[in-house]
Amino acid sequence: MSVVSILQQLHDTQLGTALRESLIMFPLIEGVHLIGLALSVGLILITDLRLVGLFLRNVPVAEVLNGLRPWVLAGFAITFVTGVVLIVAEGPKIWEIPVFPLKLVLIVLAGLNALWFELKYGKSVSVWGEHSTFPNGAKVAAWVSLVSWSAVVICGRLIPYLDTTIH
Amino acid sequence: MSTEALFNSIQHSALGSVLGTAHPLIGALVQLVHIAGLLLILSAIVLVNLRLLGFGLKRQSLPQLVKATTPQIWYGLALLALSGLFIFIPSASIYYANPAFWTKFILLAIVLVIQFSLFKQITSAESPKRAVAVLTAFTSLVLWFGVAFAGRAIGFI
Repeated sequence: MSVVSILQQLHDTQLGTALRESLIMFPLIEGVHLIGLALSVGLILITDLRLVGLFLRNVPVAEVLNGLRPWVLAGFAITFVTGVVLIVAEGPKIWEIPVFPLKLVLIVLAGLNALWFELKYGKSVSVWGEHSTFPNGAKVAAWVSLVSWSAVVICGRLIPYLDTTIH
Repeated sequence: MSTEALFNSIQHSALGSVLGTAHPLIGALVQLVHIAGLLLILSAIVLVNLRLLGFGLKRQSLPQLVKATTPQIWYGLALLALSGLFIFIPSASIYYANPAFWTKFILLAIVLVIQFSLFKQITSAESPKRAVAVLTAFTSLVLWFGVAFAGRAIGFI
Protein backbone atom coordinates (compact mmCIF):
# COMPACT_ATOMS: atom_id res chain seq x y z
CA MET A 1 0.00 0.00 0.00
CA SER A 2 1.40 3.37 -0.98
CA VAL A 3 1.85 6.36 1.29
CA VAL A 4 -0.69 8.32 -0.73
CA SER A 5 -3.40 5.67 -0.32
CA ILE A 6 -2.79 5.49 3.45
CA LEU A 7 -3.00 9.28 3.67
CA GLN A 8 -6.15 9.20 1.54
CA GLN A 9 -7.77 6.67 3.89
CA LEU A 10 -6.90 8.86 6.91
CA HIS A 11 -8.22 11.88 5.02
CA ASP A 12 -11.54 10.09 4.38
CA THR A 13 -12.12 9.06 8.01
CA GLN A 14 -14.80 10.80 10.06
CA LEU A 15 -12.09 12.58 12.04
CA GLY A 16 -10.39 13.87 8.90
CA THR A 17 -13.65 15.15 7.45
CA ALA A 18 -14.75 16.73 10.74
CA LEU A 19 -11.40 18.56 11.04
CA ARG A 20 -11.64 20.04 7.55
CA GLU A 21 -15.25 21.09 8.04
CA SER A 22 -14.65 22.78 11.38
CA LEU A 23 -13.71 26.46 11.36
CA ILE A 24 -12.24 26.45 14.84
CA MET A 25 -10.26 23.18 14.89
CA PHE A 26 -7.56 24.24 12.43
CA PRO A 27 -6.38 27.41 14.18
CA LEU A 28 -6.67 25.56 17.49
CA ILE A 29 -4.50 22.63 16.43
CA GLU A 30 -2.00 24.84 14.59
CA GLY A 31 -1.76 27.02 17.71
CA VAL A 32 -1.09 24.04 19.99
CA HIS A 33 1.41 22.68 17.42
CA LEU A 34 3.30 25.99 17.65
CA ILE A 35 3.30 26.05 21.47
CA GLY A 36 4.55 22.45 21.57
CA LEU A 37 7.28 23.57 19.17
CA ALA A 38 8.30 26.42 21.47
CA LEU A 39 8.67 23.90 24.31
CA SER A 40 10.44 21.15 22.40
CA VAL A 41 12.61 22.91 19.82
CA GLY A 42 12.95 26.01 22.05
CA LEU A 43 14.42 24.02 24.94
CA ILE A 44 16.44 21.77 22.57
CA LEU A 45 18.11 24.90 21.17
CA ILE A 46 18.96 26.05 24.70
CA THR A 47 20.41 22.60 25.51
CA ASP A 48 22.43 22.53 22.28
CA LEU A 49 23.78 26.05 22.78
CA ARG A 50 24.89 25.03 26.28
CA LEU A 51 26.61 21.92 24.90
CA VAL A 52 28.55 23.88 22.27
CA GLY A 53 29.47 26.47 24.92
CA LEU A 54 27.57 29.49 23.59
CA PHE A 55 24.96 29.84 26.34
CA LEU A 56 24.58 29.33 30.12
CA ARG A 57 28.24 28.36 30.45
CA ASN A 58 28.05 28.63 34.25
CA VAL A 59 25.30 26.04 34.47
CA PRO A 60 26.47 22.39 34.68
CA VAL A 61 25.57 20.45 31.51
CA ALA A 62 24.05 17.68 33.65
CA GLU A 63 21.53 20.12 35.13
CA VAL A 64 20.57 21.49 31.70
CA LEU A 65 20.10 18.01 30.23
CA ASN A 66 18.33 16.41 33.18
CA GLY A 67 16.29 19.50 34.09
CA LEU A 68 14.98 20.21 30.61
CA ARG A 69 14.63 16.65 29.21
CA PRO A 70 11.08 16.00 30.54
CA TRP A 71 9.88 19.36 29.14
CA VAL A 72 11.49 18.74 25.76
CA LEU A 73 9.78 15.33 25.62
CA ALA A 74 6.42 16.77 26.74
CA GLY A 75 6.69 19.49 24.09
CA PHE A 76 7.65 16.91 21.48
CA ALA A 77 4.61 14.78 22.40
CA ILE A 78 2.31 17.82 21.97
CA THR A 79 3.87 18.74 18.61
CA PHE A 80 3.82 15.13 17.44
CA VAL A 81 0.17 14.46 18.31
CA THR A 82 -1.06 17.75 16.79
CA GLY A 83 1.14 17.07 13.77
CA VAL A 84 -0.47 13.66 13.26
CA VAL A 85 -3.91 15.28 13.53
CA LEU A 86 -2.93 17.80 10.84
CA ILE A 87 -1.75 14.92 8.62
CA VAL A 88 -5.10 13.13 9.11
CA ALA A 89 -6.88 16.29 7.97
CA GLU A 90 -4.68 17.28 5.04
CA GLY A 91 -2.27 14.42 4.36
CA PRO A 92 -2.83 13.85 0.63
CA LYS A 93 -2.56 17.58 -0.09
CA ILE A 94 0.61 18.34 1.89
CA TRP A 95 2.30 15.12 0.76
CA GLU A 96 2.40 16.70 -2.73
CA ILE A 97 4.57 19.55 -1.42
CA PRO A 98 8.15 18.15 -1.48
CA VAL A 99 9.20 20.17 1.56
CA PHE A 100 6.82 18.06 3.71
CA PRO A 101 8.36 14.60 3.08
CA LEU A 102 11.73 16.35 3.47
CA LYS A 103 10.59 17.61 6.87
CA LEU A 104 9.66 14.05 7.92
CA VAL A 105 13.09 12.75 6.84
CA LEU A 106 14.77 15.54 8.83
CA ILE A 107 12.69 14.71 11.92
CA VAL A 108 13.87 11.09 11.69
CA LEU A 109 17.51 12.23 11.32
CA ALA A 110 17.23 14.69 14.21
CA GLY A 111 15.53 12.00 16.29
CA LEU A 112 18.23 9.40 15.55
CA ASN A 113 20.91 11.96 16.46
CA ALA A 114 19.12 12.66 19.77
CA LEU A 115 18.79 8.92 20.44
CA TRP A 116 22.48 8.33 19.72
CA PHE A 117 23.43 11.22 22.00
CA GLU A 118 21.19 9.95 24.81
CA LEU A 119 22.54 6.39 24.62
CA LYS A 120 26.20 7.41 24.35
CA TYR A 121 26.30 10.50 26.56
CA GLY A 122 22.90 11.13 28.15
CA LYS A 123 23.07 8.42 30.78
CA SER A 124 26.60 9.26 31.94
CA VAL A 125 26.14 13.04 31.88
CA SER A 126 26.41 13.30 35.67
CA VAL A 127 30.00 11.98 35.30
CA TRP A 128 31.29 14.03 32.33
CA GLY A 129 28.85 16.92 32.53
CA GLU A 130 30.45 18.45 35.61
CA HIS A 131 33.81 18.94 33.87
CA SER A 132 34.56 22.13 31.99
CA THR A 133 35.71 20.20 28.94
CA PHE A 134 33.61 17.36 27.65
CA PRO A 135 33.59 14.81 24.81
CA ASN A 136 33.83 16.17 21.26
CA GLY A 137 31.17 13.68 20.22
CA ALA A 138 28.64 15.42 22.46
CA LYS A 139 29.49 18.75 20.84
CA VAL A 140 29.15 17.32 17.33
CA ALA A 141 25.76 15.86 18.25
CA ALA A 142 24.70 19.29 19.56
CA TRP A 143 25.66 20.98 16.28
CA VAL A 144 23.86 18.29 14.28
CA SER A 145 20.83 18.83 16.52
CA LEU A 146 20.90 22.63 16.09
CA VAL A 147 21.10 22.38 12.31
CA SER A 148 18.61 19.52 11.86
CA TRP A 149 15.88 20.87 14.18
CA SER A 150 16.23 24.34 12.63
CA ALA A 151 15.82 22.74 9.20
CA VAL A 152 12.70 20.90 10.45
CA VAL A 153 11.12 24.19 11.56
CA ILE A 154 12.09 25.92 8.31
CA CYS A 155 10.58 23.11 6.20
CA GLY A 156 7.43 23.12 8.34
CA ARG A 157 6.89 26.86 8.01
CA LEU A 158 7.49 26.72 4.25
CA ILE A 159 4.74 24.13 3.63
CA PRO A 160 1.96 26.69 2.89
CA TYR A 161 4.35 28.89 0.87
CA LEU A 162 5.44 26.12 -1.47
CA ASP A 163 1.94 24.78 -1.93
CA THR A 164 1.35 25.28 -5.65
CA THR A 165 -2.30 24.21 -5.31
CA ILE A 166 -3.09 27.44 -3.42
CA HIS A 167 -1.13 30.06 -5.34
CA MET B 1 -8.04 60.01 11.43
CA SER B 2 -9.80 56.77 12.39
CA THR B 3 -7.75 53.64 13.01
CA GLU B 4 -9.30 52.08 9.94
CA ALA B 5 -8.24 55.03 7.76
CA LEU B 6 -4.77 54.91 9.29
CA PHE B 7 -4.44 51.20 8.48
CA ASN B 8 -5.66 51.88 4.94
CA SER B 9 -3.12 54.61 4.41
CA ILE B 10 -0.34 52.39 5.80
CA GLN B 11 -1.22 49.68 3.30
CA HIS B 12 -1.41 52.16 0.41
CA SER B 13 1.79 54.00 1.34
CA ALA B 14 4.86 53.78 -0.90
CA LEU B 15 6.44 51.30 1.53
CA GLY B 16 3.24 49.27 1.56
CA SER B 17 3.28 48.97 -2.22
CA VAL B 18 6.98 48.04 -2.34
CA LEU B 19 6.61 45.33 0.31
CA GLY B 20 3.31 44.17 -1.15
CA THR B 21 4.83 43.47 -4.54
CA ALA B 22 7.87 41.61 -3.16
CA HIS B 23 8.45 38.06 -4.40
CA PRO B 24 6.36 35.46 -2.48
CA LEU B 25 9.55 33.70 -1.39
CA ILE B 26 10.68 36.89 0.35
CA GLY B 27 7.38 36.75 2.20
CA ALA B 28 8.17 33.17 3.22
CA LEU B 29 11.67 34.23 4.33
CA VAL B 30 10.16 36.95 6.53
CA GLN B 31 7.89 34.32 8.10
CA LEU B 32 11.00 32.24 8.90
CA VAL B 33 12.58 35.24 10.65
CA HIS B 34 9.31 35.72 12.54
CA ILE B 35 9.26 32.12 13.82
CA ALA B 36 12.99 32.32 14.73
CA GLY B 37 12.25 35.40 16.84
CA LEU B 38 9.32 33.61 18.43
CA LEU B 39 11.44 30.57 19.34
CA LEU B 40 14.16 32.81 20.83
CA ILE B 41 11.73 34.70 23.04
CA LEU B 42 9.47 31.80 24.05
CA SER B 43 12.36 29.50 24.96
CA ALA B 44 13.77 32.21 27.26
CA ILE B 45 10.32 32.81 28.79
CA VAL B 46 9.72 29.07 29.29
CA LEU B 47 13.16 28.60 30.89
CA VAL B 48 12.65 31.38 33.47
CA ASN B 49 9.04 30.42 34.18
CA LEU B 50 9.96 26.76 34.73
CA ARG B 51 12.55 27.97 37.23
CA LEU B 52 9.90 30.13 38.96
CA LEU B 53 7.67 27.06 39.22
CA GLY B 54 10.54 25.03 40.68
CA PHE B 55 11.26 22.96 37.55
CA GLY B 56 13.96 22.89 34.87
CA LEU B 57 17.13 24.67 36.01
CA LYS B 58 15.84 24.76 39.59
CA ARG B 59 19.28 24.87 41.20
CA GLN B 60 20.25 28.09 39.40
CA SER B 61 19.93 31.56 40.88
CA LEU B 62 16.74 33.15 39.56
CA PRO B 63 18.17 36.68 39.01
CA GLN B 64 21.20 35.20 37.20
CA LEU B 65 19.01 33.10 34.94
CA VAL B 66 16.96 36.20 34.11
CA LYS B 67 20.16 38.13 33.39
CA ALA B 68 21.47 35.35 31.11
CA THR B 69 18.24 35.16 29.11
CA THR B 70 17.43 38.90 28.82
CA PRO B 71 19.54 39.50 25.66
CA GLN B 72 17.73 36.56 24.04
CA ILE B 73 14.38 38.26 24.75
CA TRP B 74 15.58 41.52 23.16
CA TYR B 75 16.99 39.77 20.07
CA GLY B 76 13.74 37.83 19.77
CA LEU B 77 11.64 41.00 20.09
CA ALA B 78 13.78 42.80 17.50
CA LEU B 79 13.43 39.96 14.96
CA LEU B 80 9.68 39.74 15.64
CA ALA B 81 9.11 43.49 15.32
CA LEU B 82 11.11 43.86 12.09
CA SER B 83 9.61 40.83 10.37
CA GLY B 84 6.19 41.69 11.85
CA LEU B 85 6.25 45.15 10.26
CA PHE B 86 7.18 43.58 6.95
CA ILE B 87 4.17 41.26 7.24
CA PHE B 88 1.79 43.94 8.56
CA ILE B 89 2.46 47.02 6.39
CA PRO B 90 1.45 45.63 2.95
CA SER B 91 -1.74 44.03 4.36
CA ALA B 92 -2.74 46.49 7.11
CA SER B 93 -6.37 46.82 5.95
CA ILE B 94 -6.87 43.06 5.99
CA TYR B 95 -5.52 42.84 9.54
CA TYR B 96 -7.79 45.67 10.68
CA ALA B 97 -10.80 43.41 10.13
CA ASN B 98 -9.20 40.37 11.79
CA PRO B 99 -10.23 39.72 15.44
CA ALA B 100 -7.25 37.40 16.00
CA PHE B 101 -4.91 40.27 15.06
CA TRP B 102 -6.41 42.55 17.72
CA THR B 103 -6.48 39.77 20.31
CA LYS B 104 -2.80 39.15 19.67
CA PHE B 105 -1.76 42.77 20.08
CA ILE B 106 -3.91 43.41 23.16
CA LEU B 107 -2.35 40.33 24.78
CA LEU B 108 1.11 41.44 23.63
CA ALA B 109 0.65 44.93 25.12
CA ILE B 110 -0.47 43.43 28.45
CA VAL B 111 2.35 40.88 28.59
CA LEU B 112 5.03 43.43 27.69
CA VAL B 113 3.89 45.77 30.49
CA ILE B 114 3.88 42.86 32.94
CA GLN B 115 7.22 41.54 31.65
CA PHE B 116 9.04 44.82 32.33
CA SER B 117 7.30 45.67 35.61
CA LEU B 118 5.84 42.92 37.82
CA PHE B 119 7.81 40.05 36.23
CA LYS B 120 11.07 41.97 36.38
CA GLN B 121 10.51 42.81 40.03
CA ILE B 122 9.48 39.30 41.14
CA THR B 123 12.39 37.63 39.34
CA SER B 124 14.94 40.02 40.84
CA ALA B 125 14.51 38.20 44.17
CA GLU B 126 16.62 35.11 44.87
CA SER B 127 13.57 33.15 46.09
CA PRO B 128 10.20 34.87 45.79
CA LYS B 129 7.29 33.55 47.86
CA ARG B 130 5.96 30.29 46.41
CA ALA B 131 2.43 31.57 45.74
CA VAL B 132 3.71 34.77 44.10
CA ALA B 133 6.18 32.81 41.96
CA VAL B 134 3.54 30.33 40.76
CA LEU B 135 1.00 33.07 40.00
CA THR B 136 3.58 35.14 38.10
CA ALA B 137 4.76 32.15 36.08
CA PHE B 138 1.23 31.11 35.13
CA THR B 139 0.28 34.66 34.14
CA SER B 140 3.39 35.02 32.01
CA LEU B 141 3.04 31.62 30.31
CA VAL B 142 -0.68 32.01 29.60
CA LEU B 143 -0.19 35.49 28.12
CA TRP B 144 2.89 34.65 26.01
CA PHE B 145 1.36 31.41 24.74
CA GLY B 146 -1.83 33.41 24.11
CA VAL B 147 0.12 35.83 21.92
CA ALA B 148 1.61 32.94 19.90
CA PHE B 149 -1.76 31.20 19.72
CA ALA B 150 -3.66 34.28 18.55
CA GLY B 151 -0.84 35.07 16.13
CA ARG B 152 -1.10 31.63 14.56
CA ALA B 153 -4.89 32.05 14.29
CA ILE B 154 -4.59 35.29 12.23
CA GLY B 155 -4.00 33.34 9.04
CA PHE B 156 -7.06 31.13 9.54
CA ILE B 157 -9.70 33.67 10.53
